[in-house]
Amino acid sequence: MTTRLARYAAVVLILGLAVTLTLAFRRDPHDIKTGTVGKPAPAFALPSLTDGSMVSLDQYKGKIVVLNFWSSWCIPCKEENPALTDAWERYRGTDVVLIGVVFQDTKDAARDYTARLGNTWTSALDDSGTVALGYGVFGPPETYFIGADGVIAGRHIGPIDEQTLLTGIETLRKGARQ
Amino acid sequence: MLLCAAIVTVSLVAWAARPQPLTAADRVDRISAELRCPVCQGLSVADSPSETARSMRALVAERVAEGRTDDEIRAEFVRSYGDWILLSPPLLSPNGLVWLAPLLAIAFGAWLAWRRARAPAPVPAEISPAERAELESLVAAEEP
Repeated sequence: MTTRLARYAAVVLILGLAVTLTLAFRRDPHDIKTGTVGKPAPAFALPSLTDGSMVSLDQYKGKIVVLNFWSSWCIPCKEENPALTDAWERYRGTDVVLIGVVFQDTKDAARDYTARLGNTWTSALDDSGTVALGYGVFGPPETYFIGADGVIAGRHIGPIDEQTLLTGIETLRKGARQ
Repeated sequence: MLLCAAIVTVSLVAWAARPQPLTAADRVDRISAELRCPVCQGLSVADSPSETARSMRALVAERVAEGRTDDEIRAEFVRSYGDWILLSPPLLSPNGLVWLAPLLAIAFGAWLAWRRARAPAPVPAEISPAERAELESLVAAEEP
């Protein structure tokens, strides 16, 4: 009787381990659901990288915001820059806004980076890192998709490609139209 | 006389060892030691020299200065990073299994041991008359 129960327990343990590992390996490491996803985007007001004027999330109320945390020292940020540029060109002047947040970087290095790559979308300086901590950023690059309702709909960790960007934006646009 | 001296000594030691009110810096240290550095391998914010840990520590200090309670400060980080950010996950959370699993394993082991201890000793099986006759013949053959 005891031996049989011990066997059942071993089978349950092995199955539990298998299910846990399967679920863990199926999860996309770029799409961590914990923390801020599904919750209202933390408000912020940061100085613009270009002229120091304040950039706040409130001023984009009702728009879809793609918030990208980046640094000039981050090589994957440079890798994803063409995808961001394409999205910026495609949605410029629409209901979609792209905002960069400079993460753990100096103003001069960040300005030099944007000038070199020709980035013209708004970027803001998060000197204290408080905004990044509020969003639950692990490290650059990280991109957040904020819906017109102000809720964080998705998050991408690591360099983002054009397809992921477009899918994220279009999903939110469809949701906003319905 | 000796009793009085003992009472006075114990009272003095107890008074000297009484819990001291925590300073703001103590609270920052304590909360930082409970938070995981998100960019490190198993290091607390208090132990990590990384830029992110420094930012987190500065934010903790800011919140302490604002008069927030320890729970409020921890909750702010949990809102951003989930329970994962706490080095000791709360019991009532998916990560709380790390506390429960050893207890469950011990309970299961104790239950198995108890079952085994209670099980009746195995009764030797009766031998058949044919086996008995064979044994007797073998014993007889061995005897001089």
